[in-house]
Amino acid sequence: MTIAQQVKTTLANLKSAQANLESFALATQNKQAKQVYTQAAQTTQSVVDQLQQRVGQLEKEEPTYKGF
Amino acid sequence: MPEWVHIIIRTLISFCAMFVFARLIGKRQLSQITFFEYIVGIAIGDMAAIIPDELDAPLYHGLLPMAVYTALPIALSWVALKSKSARDFLEGHARVLIRDGKILEDNLKKERMSTDELLEHLRSKNVFKVADVEFALMESNGTVNVLVKSEQQPLTPKRMGLQVPPEVEPQAVIMDGQIMDEALATIGFNRAWLKTELEKQGVAVENVFLAQVDATGQLYIDVYEDKLKIPEPQILPLTNITLKKVQADLESFALATADVQAKRMYTEAAERIQQVIDKVGPYLTR
Repeated sequence: MTIAQQVKTTLANLKSAQANLESFALATQNKQAKQVYTQAAQTTQSVVDQLQQRVGQLEKEEPTYKGF
Repeated sequence: MPEWVHIIIRTLISFCAMFVFARLIGKRQLSQITFFEYIVGIAIGDMAAIIPDELDAPLYHGLLPMAVYTALPIALSWVALKSKSARDFLEGHARVLIRDGKILEDNLKKERMSTDELLEHLRSKNVFKVADVEFALMESNGTVNVLVKSEQQPLTPKRMGLQVPPEVEPQAVIMDGQIMDEALATIGFNRAWLKTELEKQGVAVENVFLAQVDATGQLYIDVYEDKLKIPEPQILPLTNITLKKVQADLESFALATADVQAKRMYTEAAERIQQVIDKVGPYLTR
């Protein structure tokens, strides 16, 4: 696997974890737990955005591996 | 009326009377906080026994004292509720046996308690060394309660400085194959959600003996067929693991890349994911 593919895999994992956190935040009735989940989901989302950018850069550098 | 019918009728009456008076006196009598309350319970029972026992005496010979014996403790407990000094007189007060780790011999003597008895009481509270005791007192009902020194106290998350998620009581949403709509509504879900969750685990509602939903919306089910293995919901720990894996990946990317800017970005991202894990981890591992 090239680096670009590895980063993409990690990005996919992170996205799934982020989505899970959001669904926990929605599902729980406890305010404190909701807040913790929501914050975690937000932080994770910002990392997702960063990684997304990096994937864009990598794709520019090695156009062969564009897409999945 | 033959004698045996008479006896049965009187027994039934005394039984019903005892039931009514026991309900009137309430739960407090059950706990028998003081020796006096214990005796009152016995006395009422004894009077109830008089009714079928003495066939010649009129019924009220048993019922009347029972009523008085029921009314008095109610009145006394009402008085005790209103005034502290009455409470001390009626219910007695606790006596300190050990303070600051020192046995108070005078108080032991007042309670007529021997050293052996004290040790026995301590042992029944799982304390085998007097040196471990900070404070012990004898309650008015005769039990000895012990506060052990702080270094001997059990380790709790708070003492460890751990943050733990608040515990919320789970709701039983299916009992004996029946969906409990009220419990579902309390925890904020509906039948459609429950159907989806059951489908995910591949179980029909009729086969479920008991299903509970916890605060995070995880469904735990028990089916009638005990040989069937229902996987426990894994999504919480799985999310935790995914986050950890992503964090490790980011760190290895940071090491692998030669691009300075990318290295900084990866390192910073790894740190932020670590913060998320630290914060949300306790909520995901339970």
